[in-house]
Parts: sequence; structure tokens; C-alpha cells
Amino acid sequence: MNAAVKTFGITKRFGNFTAVDHLDLEIKNEVFGLLGPNGAGKTTLQRMLVTVLSPTEGTATVAGADIVHEADKVRERIGVVTQASTLDIELTAMENMNLYGMYYGIPRKERKEKIKGLLEVVGLADRAKIPVAGYSGGMKRRLEIVRALVSDPQILFLDEPTTGLDPQARAAVLEYVKRIHEEHGITLVITTHYLDEAENLCDRLAIVDHGRIVAAGTPTDLKRKLTGGDIVEAEFSILPGTAFNALQKADFVLGIKKRDGGLTIVVKNGAEAVPKIVALIDSNGGKLRTITLREITLDDVFLDVTGRSLRE
Amino acid sequence: MKGALAVCLRDVMKFVRQPVLMVSTIVGPLLTLILLGSAFGGAITQAPIAIVRESYGPYSSNFIGILKNEQTCQFGKINCQNSFQLIDAPDLDTALQMLHEGLVKAIVHIPLGFDDSLSVNSKVIVTVTLDNTDPLSAAAVGPEVAQAGQQLSSLIQTSSANGVNMTFDLEDAYRNVLYIEFMAPGTFVQAIMFVSIIAGGVQLVVDKERGIIEGYLVTPLKKYEIVVGVLLSGVFKALFASVALFILAVVLGGIRPMTLFPTPDLVGIALTMFTLFLTSLGLIAMMTAYAVRSTAADLYRVTCFPINLTLYYTSGAIYPLDGMPTWMKEISIINPETYAVHALRLLMYKGAGLQAVAGDFVFLAVFTGLMLVLAIVAFRRGI
Repeated sequence: MNAAVKTFGITKRFGNFTAVDHLDLEIKNEVFGLLGPNGAGKTTLQRMLVTVLSPTEGTATVAGADIVHEADKVRERIGVVTQASTLDIELTAMENMNLYGMYYGIPRKERKEKIKGLLEVVGLADRAKIPVAGYSGGMKRRLEIVRALVSDPQILFLDEPTTGLDPQARAAVLEYVKRIHEEHGITLVITTHYLDEAENLCDRLAIVDHGRIVAAGTPTDLKRKLTGGDIVEAEFSILPGTAFNALQKADFVLGIKKRDGGLTIVVKNGAEAVPKIVALIDSNGGKLRTITLREITLDDVFLDVTGRSLRE
Repeated sequence: MKGALAVCLRDVMKFVRQPVLMVSTIVGPLLTLILLGSAFGGAITQAPIAIVRESYGPYSSNFIGILKNEQTCQFGKINCQNSFQLIDAPDLDTALQMLHEGLVKAIVHIPLGFDDSLSVNSKVIVTVTLDNTDPLSAAAVGPEVAQAGQQLSSLIQTSSANGVNMTFDLEDAYRNVLYIEFMAPGTFVQAIMFVSIIAGGVQLVVDKERGIIEGYLVTPLKKYEIVVGVLLSGVFKALFASVALFILAVVLGGIRPMTLFPTPDLVGIALTMFTLFLTSLGLIAMMTAYAVRSTAADLYRVTCFPINLTLYYTSGAIYPLDGMPTWMKEISIINPETYAVHALRLLMYKGAGLQAVAGDFVFLAVFTGLMLVLAIVAFRRGI
């Protein structure tokens, strides 16, 4: 099967600022996550892929059509859920979806049946006839996602689909998103800055920073890239320079990063490393406050490749 | 009270930091003062009048000379121009047709035997037929003509020993039109402008800010389809508003539908609706083009207010154009609302036909065409 999305050195400049920089990417029929800090270029990339922005350089094919020369075809084949809600809150769910179906020229009868089915999928069938203004945030999001499915898109683009939702609503939205991929076989392209979301939902991820892809692969691959092992987080009351130097030189330490109030140390084997670290600090006159051992998360990968933490 | 001071300080600081908002609070009243004041203060000069002359002699020539160059002005103005712009009409029927089509504000009928009667001092009646669908002009023109007659009388009396027995018969050509009824057509046009600004433009700006327009662009909808859709909905809303306003003006404002539509025929109503349609399309396209190019909703709202006032006050909606200073007349010439108001008055009070409003239609059509092009171009570029 052909790639759902393939970019060829796609670039977008705004004046002197390069938002997306000669980026090459291939997305298959999968759930693909674009991960990155604010201003990394992921939204600009997505806006180019959905034909709202035209690239300054390079191009891409989306659902088999060129985004520059065959934008009409692209638009017919994709669905888009933007970050800010574009629902008409004065209208009912039914009306919102019906109008959307009309934009795509779907015949009336077909439209009606499809809308009924889709509203059932996301559990909104019984509230289809009240104005959307009365919906909760999660319900609105669900409605917006199924609205984008009225046209039977091959690819669904979701920009931060769960931002601003409470944990329960988030979980519900994510569950539906997962089902959409599994049951309808639609390729999903999701931008997010929630790591758990990216980890649990996405088959593959790309971490975008400064308009480039700095790492890509399955969540597991990405974590493995960080030279395997565990993470030790240590906080200190006293940390003399000699202790830090000793840690840096120690053979069991794979990587070490200073952060606020402490160190993040990547080690081969956490259980063995912790006592050694404690001993090393002790013998160099340092004083530990806390020391914790944990598994590598995507945030560590993120920190490693972008030098920033997503949680900041 | 410290809290109140903080709240007050915040509001004042924000007010000062937004020069546009600050200026707009002053611009509106200032425009009202200048435009409304200039419109209402002026004497009605240069009003076109049809002369039906059936007597040719020295007295009638003299009378016409006085009318042409009448120096006595109304409203106590010192330097005023000729009161009238005289247009010769071959006969009374032609003159009435001119009055009907709004080409003249009054007809002065110098009857057969005018000169002979004056020379022998027998009774002369001059009929002045007034276009009273413009009550302000009618109220000014009638007495001014009579005053010209007075001048003629005193001229005759000083040159000969004769007494003069001349009376002026002022006749209304139409059913009596109240000032509020005179204002009504302009108000319908203003309703259209309000819809263009609020329902047309503001909604577009808000939709743009909320990303609804971008939402349109990721669907197969073509840009021209979006423009046409926006314009059509605007026209629908504008027509609804003006018809609703008509009904409310009758129910609440005491406007008599029989005055506005003395001869309700289908052609007249159709032409009236067409005028409203053309005006709506033009004004909505104009405000759409402007809204699409506006980057901020606030700025858009604030600037719309003076635009609306200027167009309304210079359209002749509240005062006859003949009474306006030259600079206002110049604005009125390029103001689409002028032509809309003019056409509506002719079509509604008088039931004047298509040929009377053809000129208005041509202007409105050209204006609308231009604005449509502008709106489409703005949409292509701005979204």
C-alpha cells in the first residue's frame, strides 16, 4: 500500500523565520503522532498537509494527491479536526453534521443515514437534536471528530484533540479515536504534546523541533534509542564538583544531565547503579536528599533530542 | 474603595492604550455634529423647477428673471446662490411627468394671458405644483416662488401707477407626506447597512478569528462558493430586516402604508424589492471585502460606525440634497445609499416607473459589480 502521507523536503518560511525546514516524512496507514514543543513547527506542517498553507519549498502527497497541484483532491479525501472548535454552537449536532456533509456534496439520504450511525458511535445519538451550546467540552470534541468522518476520509488529521479536556473526557475521546482507526481503517495523524497519549495511541511517532524531525519510530524504538537502561533521578543537599566529575567518569553511567535541584542519570542497570551512586556521592563529600529509580519515558527521549522537557 | 480605584485605573489605562477605541468615541459624535448640522442648516438652493410658460410678454420674462436670480434667501442666510434652477417644460403634462420622475421639485405655471391681465390689472392666478413627497423642499420652494411674485408686483407698481392683483395657488401634487414618512426609505437602507456591518461583516471577522473559515478551506468547498454563500445569506438577512422594519414602522412609528405605497401594483413592489436587493448585495459585498481584510474584530467594529454615519447622513435620507453644502453633495454623488434612497422614494410614494429610476439602477449595478469583484479578490488574498 502507498504511503498515506509523504513529504519531499517540505519547507515553510514566514519572512526570515523557518517554521518547517526541509522535512521528509512518510506516514502509512497507521496512527501517527507528531510530537513537539510549542512553536516546533508541527502545526505549520499539518496546516500544509491539509492544504491551508502552501509550502515555500518542497511538496507532499496526501492520500495519493499532491498538496500543491491537486489540493482539491486532497480536500475530498481528508478530514480535519482543528485545535479550536469550529462547531456552530447555536445549531444541533445533527445540523452541524448535516451542513458538513453538504460541503462534500453527499446526497441527502446517504447523509442522513451516515450521520445517524456516526452519532451513535460516539454516544451522542440521544442528544442529536439539542443545540451544541449545551454540550460539555468532551461531547463537543467527540462531535467534531465524527463530523470529520461524514465524508469517509482516508486520513483524519487531529490537532491536539484532547487539549483542554478533563481526564475522563480525554479518555473517552481517545477511546473513540482508537476505535475509528480500528473499525474504519482510517489513517490518523495526531499532533499532541501529551506523552501518554502519544505512547498509548500512536503506532509511530515523530518528534519535531525547529522545523525538523529530530527522532522518529515506534514509542518503544524511541525509548530504546536512548541507549537502553533506566533513569536515576537524584536530588542533593550538597553536590561538590568532585562528586559530579566522578559520576561523569563512572563506567556504569551512560548519560548525565543537570536539571533544577538535581541530576538525571541514565544507567545500564538501575538496581545495581543506585548503591554505587550513593557510595560515590558519599565518598566525595556530597549529600543526597532523594534518589529515585524509574523507567525511561518519552519525556526523557524528548529531553535528549530537543534539550527541553515537554512537561515544562 | 481602594478596589474601585484599581478597577477605574485599569479601565482608563486600557482606554488610553487603544487609540482607535479612544478616537472612535469622539469621531462618531463629531461626524454627527458636522454632517447632520451641515445638512439641516442649509437653505434649499438650486432646486430644479419646471416652468410652463403660456404667456410671452415683458411681465412674464421679468418674473422668470427674478426666479432665476432670486436674491432673497430663506433661513436668514446672507450669501446664497440662485434659489432655483429653471427648466422649461413645453406643456403641463410634460411638467407633471418631470415632477413624477423626480426631475423637478415644483412646477410654476404661467398661464395664458398672464402678461395681458397684469397690464390691465385684472386678476392673475399662478399655480405652483409642489412635489410634496419631499416635504422640506416643498415647504421652502412654495414661499420662495411667492416671494419672487411679490418682487414682480412691487416692480410693476413702481414703474407704473397700476395696482397688481396676482395670487399664488400652491398645490400639492401628492398625498400629504409626513417628515417621518420622508425619512422611511433612508431608514430601510440603513437597516441594510446595519445588517451588512453586523450580520455580514462582524460575523465574518468572528468566524475568521474562530477558524471557521479555515475549517471551510479544508473541505472541497471552493472559495467562490464561500463568498457567494456569505453574500446570499447577507442579502437574505438584509431583505428580512428592511421588510420587518417597514412593518414595525407602520405598527409602531405611525407610518401610513398608503403614503408609502399609494398605488400598490406588482411592478412597483417588484422594483422596490429589486432596489433593496441590489443595495443589499452591494453594501454586503463592500463590508465583506472590508471584513475579510480586517485583522481585528474590534478595529472593524469601531471603523464601521463612522462609515455608516457618513453614508447615511450624506444620502439625502434625512434632508434634501439641494439643501446640503457643496462638499456634502460631492460625497453624496459617490454614495450608493444616495441612489438607493432616491430610487425608493420615487418607487414608493409616487409609483414612478422603471425609467425614472434607471439611472439609480445603473449606478447601483456598477457599484455592486465593483464591490463583488473586490469581495472575491479580498477573499482570495485575505483568507
